[in-house]
Amino acid sequence: MMIPVTPLTWGAAILPIIVLLILMIRFQWGATEAAPVGLLITVFTGFVLYKANIRLIASESAKGIWNALIILLIVWTAILMYQVSDEAKAFLVIRNGMRKLLPNELLLVLAMGWIFESFLQGITGFGVPVAVGAPLLIGIGVKPLWAVIIPLFGQAWGNTFGTLGAAWDSLAMSAGLAAGSREYLVTALWTAAFIWFWNVIAGLAMCWFYGKAKALKKGFTAVLILSLIQGGGELLLTQVNTTISCFVPACVSLIVILFLGRLNCYKEEWCIEESSIMNRAFTSSSFDDAPEDMTLVQAFVPYFLLSALTLVVLVVKPINLFLGQVKFGLAFPETSTGYGFVNAASDCFSPLAPFTHASMFLFLSAILGLLYYKRHGWIGEGGVKRVFVKSVSMTMPSGISVIGLVIMSKIMDGTGQTVVLANGIANALGKVYVILAPFVGLLGTFMTGSNMSSNILFGGFQMTTAKLLGVNSALVLGAQSSGGAIGSAISPSKIILGTTTANILGSEGEVMKKIMAICVLATVVIGAFAFVAVSFI
Amino acid sequence: MGKNSFFKTKAGGLTIAFLVIMVAFIIIMAGLGTGNDMLCTVGFVLIVFAMLYSPVKVYILRK
Repeated sequence: MMIPVTPLTWGAAILPIIVLLILMIRFQWGATEAAPVGLLITVFTGFVLYKANIRLIASESAKGIWNALIILLIVWTAILMYQVSDEAKAFLVIRNGMRKLLPNELLLVLAMGWIFESFLQGITGFGVPVAVGAPLLIGIGVKPLWAVIIPLFGQAWGNTFGTLGAAWDSLAMSAGLAAGSREYLVTALWTAAFIWFWNVIAGLAMCWFYGKAKALKKGFTAVLILSLIQGGGELLLTQVNTTISCFVPACVSLIVILFLGRLNCYKEEWCIEESSIMNRAFTSSSFDDAPEDMTLVQAFVPYFLLSALTLVVLVVKPINLFLGQVKFGLAFPETSTGYGFVNAASDCFSPLAPFTHASMFLFLSAILGLLYYKRHGWIGEGGVKRVFVKSVSMTMPSGISVIGLVIMSKIMDGTGQTVVLANGIANALGKVYVILAPFVGLLGTFMTGSNMSSNILFGGFQMTTAKLLGVNSALVLGAQSSGGAIGSAISPSKIILGTTTANILGSEGEVMKKIMAICVLATVVIGAFAFVAVSFI
Repeated sequence: MGKNSFFKTKAGGLTIAFLVIMVAFIIIMAGLGTGNDMLCTVGFVLIVFAMLYSPVKVYILRK
């Protein structure tokens, strides 16, 4: 039996997302308050229109909690790492040191908000760049709200090929692309091309945020060079090895930005005094608090450890395979709706491999960093306890919203609402659907907080639709994943990570309001380009 | 005294809500494991109550 795709079932499926957006953007509700409302609508629709039973709803809720707990492990460990650096006042040293290396404040913001996040996204992902990046930017004097917005933009481009290509592999798997085949490589090429476009937009947007046209003019060269390395480098590398196609350019850009700081146009001290994203009072008041005997390299110790640990465990295959053997997940029974929409039973749902999980790298880096700082006397009496207490109390509030959002997306998926949403769009629009293809990807990431989940949810659907419509599937899949990458900038689950570490929990709507237009516009451009391109290819 | 005041704050309330959800999670898993729909229902209702804590407190009780 098939779920009927009618205006009623389609409208009911989109309703919780619309309500979520209205509550957060129009009424400025925090995600903690808005998520339960969206969840209640999804549950009601699931029971009444999609003929779900309590076992299915409870099962999907439990799956959602399990997935949310894994996300929260990252949140807690990222906050722990932040608290360690904060307690040792390492951020002040980083701020002062980076100011010396990059006297141009715009370049400094780009380095700390875009390039460093790209590096983190290349290896860890799962929201770590946002959670770690926000406090770093606050440390260099960026206002908390903008310290959340900038990393959201900075990390988005790396969502498909970052985390060592996890989301890309999911797309290839769900769309049935054989690794190394012509279709695989062409799809990778289009995906990377669309992402490059977004990468340029994100870089320019950051300049615009910092100081409108004046900053755009100043930062234009830097953005073009950095984007050429990141977007262009990724485009080329997708044709060689998709696993490292984001990580390698992200590392290169990290080195190049330091050289850019020595160019004539960027080596002098430069800032826009009236920049609306900078907190001038903060910058001038806390300069003297930095420990005098801590060097910039020492301040970065937890981050160096994070990079080294992650690289060794994820890139060195024998180590990865050995540590990856330990994994555990939960068993779930098969459930189905009255329409016969089946959720297959699983013996080990969404297994957690603790020793290869990003939270383990963060945890170890934080603990080793803590020991290192304590040994040097930068963390004093009672500091260790303060670090742990603060990290737990900062994590707890965001837990509810993360759980609510993930349960909502699981119930939508498990009751068939997600499939109805996507089918309804494709059925109604015909070939014009291609314009909306990136929006489907964006929607998937918006709901689940993950480009990888979006590709798993919609990769197969996009492939089937492209074939049904007789259009180039590589373009449609490229649009799907690039839309998914852009969606990571506006996903409430990711925004919450930033607002939590920036200590402005509840401001998610405000963050979303400021970045929504740019994300939607970029997605429209990608969709329109794909639509035109499928007419010729 | 300190503990009492923490649980009276929003963060404290959300911490309790989080713990309730964890309990509900265990109840649902037990229900799914034994095929007991009543346990699944109890667990799910607990989740809903815990999730509604924040919107009810912020937008209903405070008004």
